[in-house]
Amino acid sequence: MSVRINIPHIFHQFTNGQAIVEVNGDTVGQCLNHLAKQFPGIEKALLDKSGKLLNYVDIYVNLESSYPEELAKSVKEGDELYIALMLGGG
Amino acid sequence: MLTTDELERYDRQIMIEGFGKEGQEKLKRAKIFIAGAGGLGSPVSMYLTAAGVGMIRIVDHDRVELSNLNRQVLHWDEDIGKRKVNSTLEKLKQLNQGVEIEAIEKKITEANASKLVADFDLIVDALDNLPTRYLLNKTALDKGIPFFHGAVYGFEGRAMTIIPGKTACLMCVYRGAVPKGQFPVIGVTPAVIGCIQAMEVIKYIVGIGELLANRLLIYDGLHLKFNEFSVKKDPNCEHCG
Repeated sequence: MSVRINIPHIFHQFTNGQAIVEVNGDTVGQCLNHLAKQFPGIEKALLDKSGKLLNYVDIYVNLESSYPEELAKSVKEGDELYIALMLGGG
Repeated sequence: MLTTDELERYDRQIMIEGFGKEGQEKLKRAKIFIAGAGGLGSPVSMYLTAAGVGMIRIVDHDRVELSNLNRQVLHWDEDIGKRKVNSTLEKLKQLNQGVEIEAIEKKITEANASKLVADFDLIVDALDNLPTRYLLNKTALDKGIPFFHGAVYGFEGRAMTIIPGKTACLMCVYRGAVPKGQFPVIGVTPAVIGCIQAMEVIKYIVGIGELLANRLLIYDGLHLKFNEFSVKKDPNCEHCG
């Protein structure tokens, strides 16, 4: 399945400035793994050592939260993922 | 009852369909708690003061620093070194003497949060860290007080409105704290998000429009985009589940 991932600005440093990256996968996890294969530096910013999503990273599928399935959530051709980072500033 | 001066002062908003004198009277009766007198607290408190709410209690424990002035527009060069709450009180009083402003110099903690927000109609999150946001989220839920969230980083911002017992809360969406540290920000970002929070507060009090409830608004200033993400109440949420 071909899926588009919207990369937050703070992560553009890992994607050579690309705001949107095309990936393949049947689940959110597979899509993120494919993203990390293309841009290895992003993996540590998304996943912990055990491969779980970091708790300040949220993934939205077509503008809906992937929680609670998160990495296991299935995706289909043409879906759009958004990586959203929690913000603390004010 | 609105005075003759108030009728003139708020004439342009009273003219709005669905707002009217009744909406202005509701604003006049409202007591608002604002946590933080910084980047978000500046626009939120200024626009709510200008709109004529009845009372604002604003709490902050910092002093004004030079590096605050790119975004914290309540504080000026002459205020460097002053308590932010003192600078805030001076400015808001000059903006609208008809609003009761109570500026409290205090760090919000687990021990004092409940007492600080007691008897307030709503709480505005204008904080600069996630742990205190979580604390206020929980306090708001426990006391059944609506909570108006905002947060910023760089050119990005977030806003969401939490109605206890009805909508997803902050903990349903944010499940962990971002690493501590100074955050980059351009002043216009908290201006945009703070104004959205003030707008939500006004709508809630007056009872018009549609709130950002179960909707997380994400603002991307660099590409001038607003994305709205649908969020759901988490039945296992530590705070509201």
